Amino acid sequence: MRSVVQRQGFGAAAFLLMVMVAPTIPAAAADTLAAPFDHSKGAAQSQSAAGAEADPFADLAEPVTAGAIPEQTPRSWRQTLFTENFGFRKEVMSQFDMNERGKTASRQSVGFEALKKFSTTTATLASFDFQGRLVRRDGFNPVQNDMEGQGRPGWAFEYHNAYLDLYNVLNPLLSDEQRGDTVGQFNLRVGRFYVPFGLNLQTDTHGTVLQLSNDRNFGFERDWYTGFWGAINPHLNYDVYYLAGSGYDLKFKGQSGLGAIRLSLANKYSYEYGLEGGLSILGGERLSFDAITRRRALVVDGGSENRVATKRVGLDGRYRQAVPTGLLTVTSELSGGRDLSSHVFTQLYQAEYLRASRQWGVSAQYRRFQQEGLGADASIIGEVSWYFRNDIGNSNLHWIKLNVERQLEQMQGPHSTIATLQYYFYQ
Amino acid sequence: MKSVVVFMMFAVLAMPQQAFAAIGCTLSNPAEDLKYLYPEMTTYKEDLNEFPLLKDGTELFRALRERLGSDLDPIYETYETPYTVYSVFKGQQKIGVVHGVNVPGKGGVIQVFLSMDPQTGEIRRFFFQRLESPAARQLRSKEFLSQFEGLTLGDFYKHDYYATVDPGAKADKVAAITPPVFEVSGRPDYEASLRGIRKNLILVDFFVYGKKFEPYFERAKQATEKAKARKE
Repeated sequence: MRSVVQRQGFGAAAFLLMVMVAPTIPAAAADTLAAPFDHSKGAAQSQSAAGAEADPFADLAEPVTAGAIPEQTPRSWRQTLFTENFGFRKEVMSQFDMNERGKTASRQSVGFEALKKFSTTTATLASFDFQGRLVRRDGFNPVQNDMEGQGRPGWAFEYHNAYLDLYNVLNPLLSDEQRGDTVGQFNLRVGRFYVPFGLNLQTDTHGTVLQLSNDRNFGFERDWYTGFWGAINPHLNYDVYYLAGSGYDLKFKGQSGLGAIRLSLANKYSYEYGLEGGLSILGGERLSFDAITRRRALVVDGGSENRVATKRVGLDGRYRQAVPTGLLTVTSELSGGRDLSSHVFTQLYQAEYLRASRQWGVSAQYRRFQQEGLGADASIIGEVSWYFRNDIGNSNLHWIKLNVERQLEQMQGPHSTIATLQYYFYQ
Repeated sequence: MKSVVVFMMFAVLAMPQQAFAAIGCTLSNPAEDLKYLYPEMTTYKEDLNEFPLLKDGTELFRALRERLGSDLDPIYETYETPYTVYSVFKGQQKIGVVHGVNVPGKGGVIQVFLSMDPQTGEIRRFFFQRLESPAARQLRSKEFLSQFEGLTLGDFYKHDYYATVDPGAKADKVAAITPPVFEVSGRPDYEASLRGIRKNLILVDFFVYGKKFEPYFERAKQATEKAKARKE
């Protein structure tokens, strides 16, 4: 054990040395206006100062047409493909965890995300997103953000997001007027992305240690799927998909797959009121090694191969509120249904505080997955984060997190306490 | 095979920083947001603008700082920061331009979006996408936001002259804006918002309008200097 720990230690040291070449961020300076606006009532009274001309702009009529737009440097088709409407982000993650019995594990990875948008002269037609990571794992503890790592010791190349969005796919069949009426309503997604159940579709948990409830609820948080998404009206968005129900790999082993519908509040509620929320319904058959191999009762109950008949209905919500010193966010996901004939009930409650400087934050989460006749898995988790960079758009992230999970209930095995230290860089 | 993959991953990480490093400001749900702003629209197009990819990009970046009149934030306003311009169409006709910028505020980053007339460059709507501020409610009030409708970058350049030489002049449309009532703690975010509007207008003048408001900047600069010289 000791040699393993030492080996991990050397690897980690080299790894951290490498990532430290990443530029550190100076503290954001408070900006001031160079020409302060004077709104005092006194100033509202025109008081021609000495030296003022009658109107120095009188002879400048505002031009109606635009001038010459700055030219872009000439580019080859390859440059156009990889620079025009193309985003590329690098990612480094270094994570160490240990339970109270001294069992250690390490997960080190380098990765990237590429996003490309395709357009005509009057419309953006499609976008493609891919996330990949080269991962090195030594040992395993069931840390929330790496449950699937149990089956991938050593080196592995992993894909995460891999999907194509086609926007307004009905446009070729519609008149201009109909296009206007349906803009944003019929977008097609094909590929691998977050399971469209709960808040995960609208929450990027790619780099975080804290996760939402889908991974425990279904055995995977991303799946292969295709279907439509868009706006129903100014208040509601929809997602309707067929999912393979196979999790990481796209495979069909006799499962019928899953159908999923989600109705969620339009983005304006998030911007204007800090509120997100939705109702999700999912049903069909999925592959789940977890649900079968871990639960003898389910096998006896008629599970064929590792197919699990699945039904779920879920409600979720998130509310952000600015407080004098920062930002407070509360999140909840609740869902109920069946795996085969067993009732299941999932709860997740989370509270986060982010300092106004966005340099540090604390989070607490309680999660519980209960299955009829088998008991429950429940944990309470605390997390402290120090941010070197914490872009609001999640496109520039750099942090260290300390996460401690105490398992309160377990269907199988002893209750553990797992401490995780994570370094993360994404730019 | 593994060593090839490892090599490729490290090669990716070793690529020049300026090729990637960036923070943009995009609409979270463009179709929904643009339809809300332009109910008559039929399609929209996104265009990513980056100074390094523009001819004379270095000059333009320097010009941004000069026209903004304050230092650029080293995180959110870098040379490599991408800017997404949304062009809104009704059939083949361009009916709107929408653009957003990030500016650092006291309570966090503020995302300032403007929708503009594609011909005149006048502000049609001003709205915040993200605003985490103690004064968020006041800054989001319709009364405050609507005061910016009809303003152009030319008005902001004119304000530079009037604020220095003739405070309170009736022609100074920017000075006529009444700030919402908020506690002292909200002031920095108010000022950051105004700075964000100005920055947004300058960038769109570069990317979309071909610097058509440049004569106002030059005239304001010259007239201010002249007035100062006369005073002396």
